[in-house]
Amino acid sequence: MKKILAVVRREFVERVRTKAFVISTVLLPVFMVAMVLLPALMMSGGDRASRVAVVDASTTGLGQPVSHALESEKLGNGPNAKSRYAVQVFPATSDDLAKVRDGLIASTGFSGDKQKDGWNGVLVLTDDTLATGKLSYYGGNVGSLESMSKLQRAISGALAGVRLGKSGVDAALVKRAMAPADLDTTKVSDGKLTGQSGQESFMIAYFMGFILYIAILIYGQQTMTSVIEEKTSRIMEVLTSSLTPFQMLLGKVLGVGAAGLAQMAIWGGTVFVLSSQRTPLAAAFGMSADAAQSFPIPSMAPGLLLVFLLYFALGFMLYGALYAAIGAMCNTIQETQQYAIFVTVFIIVGFFAVFALIKDPTGPLGVTMSYIPFFAPFTMPVRWSLTSVPPLELVLSLALMVATLLACVWLAARIYRTGILMYGKKPSWRELWRWVRA
Amino acid sequence: MTAASVRIESVTKRFSGHTAVNRLSMEVAAGGIFGLLGPNGAGKSTTIRLIMGILEPDEGRIVLFDSPHGSRALSQRIGYLPEERGLYKKMKVLDHLIFLGETKGIGRADARKRAQAWLERLGVSEWALKKVEDLSKGMQQKVQFAGALLHEPELVILDEPFSGLDPVNAQVMKDIVVAIAAEGRTVLFSTHVMEQAERMCDRIAIIARGEMVVNGTVAQVKEDFGGRHVALGFTHDKARAGNILADRALVAHVDDYGASAELQMADGADPEQLLAALVREGVGLRRFEVVEPSLHAIFIAKVGAEAATAHAGVAA
Repeated sequence: MKKILAVVRREFVERVRTKAFVISTVLLPVFMVAMVLLPALMMSGGDRASRVAVVDASTTGLGQPVSHALESEKLGNGPNAKSRYAVQVFPATSDDLAKVRDGLIASTGFSGDKQKDGWNGVLVLTDDTLATGKLSYYGGNVGSLESMSKLQRAISGALAGVRLGKSGVDAALVKRAMAPADLDTTKVSDGKLTGQSGQESFMIAYFMGFILYIAILIYGQQTMTSVIEEKTSRIMEVLTSSLTPFQMLLGKVLGVGAAGLAQMAIWGGTVFVLSSQRTPLAAAFGMSADAAQSFPIPSMAPGLLLVFLLYFALGFMLYGALYAAIGAMCNTIQETQQYAIFVTVFIIVGFFAVFALIKDPTGPLGVTMSYIPFFAPFTMPVRWSLTSVPPLELVLSLALMVATLLACVWLAARIYRTGILMYGKKPSWRELWRWVRA
Repeated sequence: MTAASVRIESVTKRFSGHTAVNRLSMEVAAGGIFGLLGPNGAGKSTTIRLIMGILEPDEGRIVLFDSPHGSRALSQRIGYLPEERGLYKKMKVLDHLIFLGETKGIGRADARKRAQAWLERLGVSEWALKKVEDLSKGMQQKVQFAGALLHEPELVILDEPFSGLDPVNAQVMKDIVVAIAAEGRTVLFSTHVMEQAERMCDRIAIIARGEMVVNGTVAQVKEDFGGRHVALGFTHDKARAGNILADRALVAHVDDYGASAELQMADGADPEQLLAALVREGVGLRRFEVVEPSLHAIFIAKVGAEAATAHAGVAA
């Protein structure tokens, strides 16, 4: 036991100390921040307050209610949210309409603060507007579909209010009648609320599958590489004289796994901090809170986190043992490829099963997959997050995984024992079988 | 001190059709330095790997310290320097030694102390925090040597310990090996450098093609080899000695080194006859000495003869 710990510590410490580890640990969170912030920053252009000039050429004073409606549009949901539009009304008659409009357009569409009294857009209201709903908008941001639809919605509301008011409907009643529908989606499974929105469920499922996929591929390969390295450096011979193959293998798989988990923990911690601090963070980058909110960073329920970690650890060790055995069979990285492809296929099938599962979490495919130990690490946490898994099924799946893991470590140790000293010769499948039985 | 450290009982090991070790039996008594000699490919390393439990014998068995356990269970009492030197290249020297100590069951703090003491002793303590890959080959070998001895094993097994070392480092290693034996511990080392074995070993075993050729104390081996041997050193006119040395009635076998030669007298021939003949011919002599046969001579004679009879056997 003490010896296994020594191997674990060596694998862990030596791995964590490498430049590659430090760099990848730091770079991924930076990348994540960029992934979250960049699109938000790009889209936040439409979320700055825009200065709108309203040219009111109507005879009914339509400018007043429209500018009022625009001014009451807010950026974000908070009580302190700033107005979306800064509006100024320019009265005009049908005669000088063109002149007023063109004068305003001349100072429209300049970026930033280039022109002091510049406008982001010019809105032209005429008598036609109330009757047919037709009005014109000239602006630099007409390409932003989101901005345009927001503007259109606000004006539509104002026009509807004016029309209803003309028909004698009370203003307060109009306001209540015009309140928008607010759709709130919540996932239901097996007659129970999961407490997650539909989008979040998908994000979590995808995210977990992806993390596992990446982690197993990267760290599994590292386990394999490190076995090969020990063989080529011939350190193996010293180690086999004092450690059993089982000790070496378990120590290596656990050590590399611990390094992987540490990295994941750092990344996971970053996600957590980012998501809990996203509002101040967004503010620091000059974005509105609304923009930050539009990127849901999924939060994991404690139960799901536990299931995920359990399957992550088990799955990792399972694949790590397989990779280590492949390393023991081969002498060079190139040689490992023809064996490693089988393992990679398992991983890829497991990963893509997640997508089938997201569509139909309770289907026979998903249920079967979550019992097969090589796929369970991918499918079970996703099933758990999408539907409710009966505890008995979870226990059975876990037990199967533990049993397979032990069988794999045993098998790998058998191959390891013979394979580590086989220099320069690649075993045939029949020889492999002999090593296992030996 | 009579208990055997290693007892090999009729061990056979085959590798895909080729027999590396063939019904080999030998005993390494506790204490002293035991030399395992043999030409390249004789099965020295295979024998050592069998002792270390890295390979399993196909037939026969190996007993360590008269214990029923294998070498892995006894690894705390055994130190091993493999022929193929290998260390983790990216590890720091001190960390590496600590790790090797830990695999032998020593606590971390203790391993650190011992590692530092060994680095000091080998004169590489200023390299303790360098990576292994930054060290020269010779220094790496010293580090691995320290790793094999860190846990003060009572049996030290060294496979070709002096190969690839410069004379100064070889001397350092030799002194350590001798010191270990002086403490009453057992050293088993393999080599094909006979002069070294002759000077250091109490007991030797010569193996060839996986079989035992000679086994015993150095004195005993020499006595058993028998014959009278003469060492010659020439100064001039060596060519004139040609006929005399070729006279099979006088000289049974010559090992010619150019400026010197070692020869075995023919049965019944007298060294004085040889000296008289050489002087008569006017051969310039720097040295004429009746000596014990060197291990080298025994080795060449035995292994050469073995090979010859083996070939004859195959031919017949």
